[in-house]
This record gives sequence, structure tokens and C-alpha cells, in this order.
Amino acid sequence: MSEVYVEHLSFALGDEKRSVEEASESGLTISKAADLRDAGFTQHHICRPQTTAYDLASRAVSDIKEYLPGTGAIIYSTCLPLNGNIGDESKFKETRDVKYLMDFPASHLQADFALDRAFVIGLNQQACTGVLGSLRLARMLLTSEPQIQRVLCVTSDRFPPGALYEQAYNLISDGAVACIVHTSPGAFRLLACHAITNGSMARASDDETVGSYFNYTYRVIQETLAAAGLDMKDIAWVVPQNTNRKAWQILARLLRFDYERVFFSTLSTVGHLISGDNIINLRALMDERGIRSGERLLLFMAGYGLNWQCVILEKT
Amino acid sequence: MRAKDILITGADGYIGMRLAHAYLELTDMPVVLWVRAATQEAFEAKRDRLEQQFSRYEARISYESGDLVKERPFDSVDPRRIRKIIHTAAVTKFNVDPDTAESVNIRGAEKVLKFASQCDSLEALGVLSTVYASGLKTGVISEVPLEDVGFANHYERSKAAAEAKLIRDFDYLPWRILRVATVVADDQTGHVTQFNAFHNTLKLLYYGLLSLIPGNPETPLYFVTGEFVKDAVFRVMQSTASKAIYHVCHTRSESLTLGELVDIAFERFARQQEFNSRRILKPLYADAESFDMLGTAVDTFSGSIVNQALSSVTPFARQLFIQKEFRNERLVSALRDYRSPDPHQLVRNTCDYLVSTKWGKEEGNVVRTGN
Repeated sequence: MSEVYVEHLSFALGDEKRSVEEASESGLTISKAADLRDAGFTQHHICRPQTTAYDLASRAVSDIKEYLPGTGAIIYSTCLPLNGNIGDESKFKETRDVKYLMDFPASHLQADFALDRAFVIGLNQQACTGVLGSLRLARMLLTSEPQIQRVLCVTSDRFPPGALYEQAYNLISDGAVACIVHTSPGAFRLLACHAITNGSMARASDDETVGSYFNYTYRVIQETLAAAGLDMKDIAWVVPQNTNRKAWQILARLLRFDYERVFFSTLSTVGHLISGDNIINLRALMDERGIRSGERLLLFMAGYGLNWQCVILEKT
Repeated sequence: MRAKDILITGADGYIGMRLAHAYLELTDMPVVLWVRAATQEAFEAKRDRLEQQFSRYEARISYESGDLVKERPFDSVDPRRIRKIIHTAAVTKFNVDPDTAESVNIRGAEKVLKFASQCDSLEALGVLSTVYASGLKTGVISEVPLEDVGFANHYERSKAAAEAKLIRDFDYLPWRILRVATVVADDQTGHVTQFNAFHNTLKLLYYGLLSLIPGNPETPLYFVTGEFVKDAVFRVMQSTASKAIYHVCHTRSESLTLGELVDIAFERFARQQEFNSRRILKPLYADAESFDMLGTAVDTFSGSIVNQALSSVTPFARQLFIQKEFRNERLVSALRDYRSPDPHQLVRNTCDYLVSTKWGKEEGNVVRTGN
């Protein structure tokens, strides 16, 4: 299998910042503000009414547009399936024409950035784990179709008006991330991708979701390591989602991994950007700590479905 | 007046009621059933329930009440009538708060001992304790007075303190201490009347709410049935030997480990389509600190169901790391026909009962699924 690389990480956040107290007072959370602070959250980002998920995606991709030429595919993932359509639902109700339910943001992205040779794939049933799923899919494309040498991965979500900005006890932010996966040597070599889906827990309660978190997380990480022929001691950094920090304090102990090497410094200021946290944390890790050549990073995500995904990267 | 009665405190409790049955069925002794009641109304409600249970023996029973946290809870009992006392009343929850543990399990026990001191014809005093009064002690634990090596929770501490007080200040009484192991079922069939941390933990595992479990899979767990406890206490109380401690439990070689318990539970759970289809994984074994972190963190990332259940497991968690080897030679000698049940089968039957009745909620649904 030829090697695949990930780089050019970018992101865009919802326009407005709100503290956990403001979120709580606005009725956007279920948990108490103090509990969310205790979990590590201090603020989150939400979109103004006129800002769409597509706007966020477009902003994230704009930051890396110089690297887009030659893109052969766009993988556009959303946590919420409704963000996979930017059509006007009221027009569907008015006309009963379903084309208003198929106004795909990936197509707009291809047109707006003139990625004429790129075809599009929508990925919208992996919930919070979508970005890792898109890396995996990109790797499959690149290795199975040699004519494709560059894939743009985008994940973008904003919560619909009236939604709670809390899921499974985590404070949510609107936002988008983008990155490029390609076959030319780049910042990170993609060593392994792995996922587990437990569809029987598709309708799991928050308690069941939390209840399955530790053992499924442990399992998907161990299986990913095994697939790469590695052990936790071979990993320099774990880059998780922005979810309750206490969960990772526990997981690090279970994995016999130094908690100080679990990097999610944006938890406090970014919140849980549903399917894009890892990319933001990875960029923060590059900026704040620097990553040495040869260091391996383990990216992990869990999401509804229930889905667990894990990716191992190696700094070139 | 010739003393001939037996006084059972906590007579409406799980063990107390079984002992009351035993004395009523197997002896002709008059039985004084003492229950905790802060008001007359509460007493009458408890008495009515017990009268229904024991209607056949009405003439031999007298009902008394009091409250161990109040002064002189046994004022209504004539000490001249009492020949034997079995003290079962206690707060037995692992998550008992320190004040309650102190007032009920220590000072309350002292009031029983003071009352016993007034019973001039007292022949036998049985005080129920727990094998976990041994606290954090590891290794061989014999049927002897304990040294204080620290405790996992206030329940253990209070029972150890009550034992120490008895031996230190009331040694003139004809006492015997019965340290009982964890009661997981009424009998070998696995039927459960009283639910405790053991059952709550299995419930969390069955419903996929607990992906971590504290402890080492090699840690031995000491389980008994209510029937075994009743028989053992009854027999020990018949014995004339006093000033003795008995471990009402089975030996290490007759017991399961934590890992075996989890394996058996998942094997039995997996026979249920409802469980199987959800692909619930076995829990990970967490070290003590990790589980403590889960216990404190769970307030912020879990709902009330998990919170409540964890609060009953957490105070016991430290015991699941400690390798204890309880000895029971004195008990075996007292019982003579001592037999230990197959611990695997006991747990299998108990798991089947819990699953088929949804932890007692659907009592009519019990289905035996074989071995």
C-alpha cells in the first residue's frame, strides 16, 4: 500500500463566544455551568442566525485554498445529517419538490473553490467521528485509485436554532475543520485507521453512551495499535476530542499513558466542536508544543451511532 | 420469673427475620422481636407486617420497638425475661455516613450491650458483624480480635469499633461475634430478597452503564446465602462456648474471584437476547485511583441512575483490590456438618434470577435456564 499523508489543517468557529454561564442562562445546556466548568469547559462558539454550516466550511477551506489545486475528491462530513443539505426546507414544503432537500454543500464547495476535477462524497452517519472517517475514506481512495492524488476533507456543523448545545454532558460549539490528504510526502504520515460501530446502541441514552465509553474506547485504541503493529509506548501524543477532561484522566490510566501527553488544550476555549476537535487540537499541538519528526500521534473520537474511531499519524 | 426468651434486634431485617423464623420453627422459646421505630405508628406498621409473617406463632411472640439512636431503646423490654440476645440491627450500607454509622452501629450497639448487662440470666449474646470489619487488612484473617489497619468505608469502621467495644468493655458477657460475608442470595437457588452493592453492580453491567470496575480480577470474593447465615448463627447461638469469634463465610478455595464473577455474569447475561444484541463489552478493571476519579467525576458526566448505583459501589471499591484469606475453622467446628455450596453455581443462579426478574421487579418471571 502506498503511503498517505495528512496536512494543511484549518478550522473556523461559530461567530459568537459565550461563557458556560451565559450558555446555561440562555437555556442552551442541561448540566449546571459549574459542572461544565469542572469538566474543563469555559466557553463555546455559536453561529449568528444568518451563518450557515456551509459558511463555516467555506471559511475553513479558504484558509488552505492555496493547497487545493489538484484535488481529486472532496469528502464532506457532517455530524448532523441536516447539515448535509443547504436547501431551503420551506421551499420543499411549499412545492413538495425534494430537490430542495438535495442541495449539497459539497457540490457548492467544489464550485466555489473551482475544484473542477474533484468529485464529492458526503459522509453524514458517523456523528462526532466524521473527520476521522473522512481520513480513512481518503486513504482508501488514494490507495485504490492512483489517479486521485489529493483529497480535501471537510467537516462542518452548526446546531439548528433552538437546539441544546450540550450532548452527553459536553458543551458543543459550531464550527468546521478542513485538511488535505494526499500521496506526496507531507506533515503527517497516516499509519492506521480503525473504527467500531455498535448499531444496537444507535438510540443509546446519554448514560448508556457514557457507560460504553471506556471499554469501547480502550478496545478501538488497542485494535488500532495492533493494526499498526504498535503499542501505547510507541505513541508520543494522544489527541482526543474536546470532551470531559476527567474521562481522559481515567482513560490515560487505563491505557498506562502519561496524562500530560494527552493533548486537548482547546477544550476550554473551543468546546466540543462535535466532529472536528482532533484537527483543532492537532494544530494547537503543532503550534504550542511542536511535534518532533518520528513522533506518533493517536487521534480518537467517539460519537453517536454508536461509533468509535481512531487514527495513528506519524510526524515526518 | 424464669428467663426463657430470646431477644432479636432488627427483627424485621433480612437476617433478623430469618432468625426469628428459625427460633419459632425449631425451638419452643418465646421470642421478643425488637424493631426500629421512631413513632408508635411506624411500630404498628412493622408489627402488622411481622404478625402476618408469624401468625402461626402468635402466642410465643412479643413485639417491642425503640430506636438505637435514642436513649434507652430497650426500656420496654424486661431484662429478667431474656435468656439470649441476637443483635442484628445495624445500618449495613457501605455508603453509610459517618454520623449514622457512629450513632447506630457503635453507640447503638453499646446500648444493646448495656441492656445485655442487665439481663442476669443471659446465656448467650450474639452480635452480628461483617468479615469486612477487617478493613484494609490483607492476607490471612483468622477468627480473632482485629487490629485497626484502616477501612474502606464507615460501615466497616463502625462494625470493627463495635466489636472492639464489646471485647474491651463487656467481656464479662457471654458473647460471640459472627462476622458475616456478603449475602448474594437467599439460598442456593439464587432467589434474592435483599439487594445490595453486589446486585447493583451486576445491574449496571447488564444495562451497559458501567464500563469500568474497580479491583483486580484475582481478588477473592466471599459470598454466602441468607440460609447459610441463618443456620450458622442459629447453631452458634446453641453452642455453650462463649467469647468466640466466627467467620460466617466460606474459605478462599471455596470462593470465586472478581474475574470469575464477571465472567460468569457475562456468560449468563449473554443468554438473554436483550443483552446480547447490545454488544456490551466486559468492563475494564480499573485501579483504585481511576475508579475514585470516576466516582467523583460521574457527577459531571452521568445521570442520576449511574450516580445512585455508583454511590453504592464506590465505598466498597477498595476491598476489590485486597487479597484476603478468611479462615473459618471455628465456624466449621461449631457446625460440624459444614458444607460449602458451589460458588459458581450460586452466582449463575443468582444472575439468572436477577435477569429474569429484572432485579426483582418482575418476580413472576423467574426462569431457570440450567447450568
